Amino acid sequence: MDSEIIILVIVVATALVFDFTNGFHDAANAVATSISTRALAPKTAVGLSAVLNFAGAFISLEVAATVASGIVEAKLITTTVIFAGLIGAILWNVLTWYFGLPSSSSHALIGGVVGAAFAAGGTDAVLGQGLLEKVMVPAVVAPIVAFLAAALCILVTYRIVGRLRPGLVNSGYRVGQIASASLLSLSHGTNDAQKTMGVITLALVAHGTLDGADAEPPTWVIVSAAAAIALGTYSGGWRIIRTLGTRIYKMDPAQGFAAQGGGAAVLLTASHLGFPLSTTHSITGAVLGAGAARRLSAVRWGLAGNIAIAWILTLPAAALVGAATYGISRIFGTGVVGPLLISLSLLMLMAALFGKRVRRGPAMTTAPADV
Amino acid sequence: MIGAVDVDALIELAWAAPLAALTVTIAWALVVYGAGRAADANRDGRRLIATLRLAVAAAGVVLFTAAIVVGLIVMTSKG
Repeated sequence: MDSEIIILVIVVATALVFDFTNGFHDAANAVATSISTRALAPKTAVGLSAVLNFAGAFISLEVAATVASGIVEAKLITTTVIFAGLIGAILWNVLTWYFGLPSSSSHALIGGVVGAAFAAGGTDAVLGQGLLEKVMVPAVVAPIVAFLAAALCILVTYRIVGRLRPGLVNSGYRVGQIASASLLSLSHGTNDAQKTMGVITLALVAHGTLDGADAEPPTWVIVSAAAAIALGTYSGGWRIIRTLGTRIYKMDPAQGFAAQGGGAAVLLTASHLGFPLSTTHSITGAVLGAGAARRLSAVRWGLAGNIAIAWILTLPAAALVGAATYGISRIFGTGVVGPLLISLSLLMLMAALFGKRVRRGPAMTTAPADV
Repeated sequence: MIGAVDVDALIELAWAAPLAALTVTIAWALVVYGAGRAADANRDGRRLIATLRLAVAAAGVVLFTAAIVVGLIVMTSKG
């Protein structure tokens, strides 16, 4: 087996690990409010979300064949750049999970690839206009539009059902939340599993396994990407679920529905207009809007500030790790040694981190009692 | 650099997204309101009123289902 094949295998495995962390990290977006309002039991919620993420991966096969296309120079994309970008994204996802902060996995991936491309080709490798249009503007627009939409939704909701018996209203909105959480999960599967398929397809093209022109992902790529994101989702990123579901404020089922329904409507409208937004940014903005519209002081703005800082840091931090990974990898030449050593180091780091968490409690597989 | 941003799509998003969110919200609020008030009317023996309120709830279900279907179409039409 030549070294290029081994590098390709490492890149594919790393892409699937990223996909797992994507599901693990972003499960919160779809189910956090359903869990906190007791519309769904925690395990049922992540199970439903996992199934719909899996199904969503097959619904639309518009592969982001060029992840970060228009953001970095396409000719600089090599398997090592992709690998380094993935490492940057994985580390950022794990770090933000550790601190329970919802942040965009897609932005982390783009950041990682941008950093690696920058290390490979200098400033000319990064296309500023693309970065502005596809990352920075959506990062600002998504939370603001979702905040306003959810705020409007909850005010209208209270206006219509405010005089009904609270028990009846809560029951009604818990049922509604099952539908809205399902729609969000399906939407997440159609968006985010595609990115991993795109990364693997890109690596196959860079390696020469697939023809570059109109490359379609092979079936094994589609199935493995769908399975990885579903497994990640089922594992449940409880720390982020707790942040979105209970730590920002204690929400009622109507607020949960407004956040999910409003967030989903914003995401799908944006998608229809060809203006894709981050699920994380939209849902977090909607959660804040649904809380602030009811009572401004109910929202923990300090925590919201920490989340905003994490969003601002996502791109540069992932880029920094991506660039460093590329640099370290190149120290060992263009062969397999660099990626192999980095992969093993990452695996050991993740095992240590998760091992530490598991020793402190069943954080990986069981929802905490206060979620 | 600002020229790279599709301002028209941004403006459309600014009004269309809240409108879509509001449609979903009103639809489900009609379901909850209609069903809740119909139950009250039924308990009081006002059958006609209960039926009318159930019709409101049914309209909400239809509108909500339509919104979900539109969402699914948006998802599937990306490809």
